[in-house]
Amino acid sequence: MTHNRRFGFANPWLLLGFEIICVLVYELLQKRGASETANLSQVWSWTGITALASPLTWLAMVIMIISLLSWLYVLRYIPLSIAFPLSRAVDVLIPLGCWIILGEHISPRRWFGIALVVIGLMLTAKPVARLEEKL
Amino acid sequence: MSWPVFVLIPIALIAFVSGQLFLKHAMESSRVKGFREAKVITFLGCGIFSMTTHFFVTLGLLGHLDLSYVYPFQGLSVIIISLAAAIVLREKLNLRLTLGALLISAGVVLVSMS
Repeated sequence: MTHNRRFGFANPWLLLGFEIICVLVYELLQKRGASETANLSQVWSWTGITALASPLTWLAMVIMIISLLSWLYVLRYIPLSIAFPLSRAVDVLIPLGCWIILGEHISPRRWFGIALVVIGLMLTAKPVARLEEKL
Repeated sequence: MSWPVFVLIPIALIAFVSGQLFLKHAMESSRVKGFREAKVITFLGCGIFSMTTHFFVTLGLLGHLDLSYVYPFQGLSVIIISLAAAIVLREKLNLRLTLGALLISAGVVLVSMS
């Protein structure tokens, strides 16, 4: 353990987890906001500007800014080639959350995809223990 | 499927990957030089601009397409960013990390397409 190791909310691994939850929330809000406003203008809707008419999009932007600040802190201490693949844990959390909380059906192909992401996360997380010692 | 899809999906992907690289470079430099250095501010600005472009282009796509169509392309960003980090930022990318990124990319594509 090194003398400059960061604890509590200053721990980049904890903030990476926080960032994952923020992404989970803002991506769902982004989709809802974009769908609600897609028919406002045929031309401008492709630019995403019309989505600003939805309060959900604004809420998504606030959470996105919080997530960006957390992500910047994470990038300061963790290599991008490790932090970014780990941040994609969100792609497992969304379908699993829908299955556990909402009781939604998950197809065999989706289960296979989830298994691949989990194995990939485990492979990526292996060097993390060594990196942790350097923080 | 209309033409904006074939133009906007690559733009969103390029903006996202370049944004991540700019932000990582800025934060890496800030550890040594602090946030007042012109180089750090420039990279941070470029990163935020790229991520904002990605945000609005993705909003435009999501308004017209299903999440299950747009999201598999985002999944590809995992392997692209890992390789770009090794080439551009000179991060160490061993076989384990490459395999991990490949599996995550493939998994995200499968999860999104289902």
